[in-house]
Amino acid sequence: MSAVIKTTTPFIIQSVLFKALCVVGAEPKILTSDLASGLRQGRAIVGDILTNRSDYNGIQYFHKQGERWVFLHDSDEYSARIESQLSDRKYTAVSRFLTDLSYAYDMAYQEHVDAVAEQERIRLENERKARVESTRQNAIAKAKAQGYSVKQSETATGQIQLVLTRTV
Amino acid sequence: MPEQKITITIDDEGSITAKTSGFKGGACLDALEELLEIDGVVSSVKKTDEYNQLQSINQTYIQKNKRQ
Repeated sequence: MSAVIKTTTPFIIQSVLFKALCVVGAEPKILTSDLASGLRQGRAIVGDILTNRSDYNGIQYFHKQGERWVFLHDSDEYSARIESQLSDRKYTAVSRFLTDLSYAYDMAYQEHVDAVAEQERIRLENERKARVESTRQNAIAKAKAQGYSVKQSETATGQIQLVLTRTV
Repeated sequence: MPEQKITITIDDEGSITAKTSGFKGGACLDALEELLEIDGVVSSVKKTDEYNQLQSINQTYIQKNKRQ
């Protein structure tokens, strides 16, 4: 006997998983103590991510095990259904759900990576501007303290130019 | 009265190019050191003919700022 299995994309980043769950229409909610009192959340604990999917064991949800978020559900999907206010939601098998979610996660992850790269670019750009400004201010302050008159202009390439003059 | 002049250009990365005129002898180096604290961060110095005449001095320095 042989078998071929394919695992899902590892769901590592909570915000990315949450976004992907929204995309596939799973209406995710993070389980809080307030929410727990009004829900049949089964074995889910505070901090888990609930979906709008449920089965014999209660709500199907994601629980963090080590670095990964793992989907917990009844293995037979007995009494499986969608619990949603939205009438167009239809239950899909867990395997199909996870395949769709993997795809959505990959998309959301790429957006996340792009956003992080953009944030890093902005941070480096701000550092660069601060470095130039600090150099400019230090030069002007010291020049004035040493009796120079200071004229500031910009070169054709946009660089700062300071002309310091004094008579001796 | 003689005029001392220093032209400083700050590039996009915060590095400095400085050009001096009107200083005598090595005074231009001292003036730049005093002004820009360039000791240990100068990547190149180009001396003009005037520098060696110990009269009117014209120096160019490039200061590479140390990055954090």
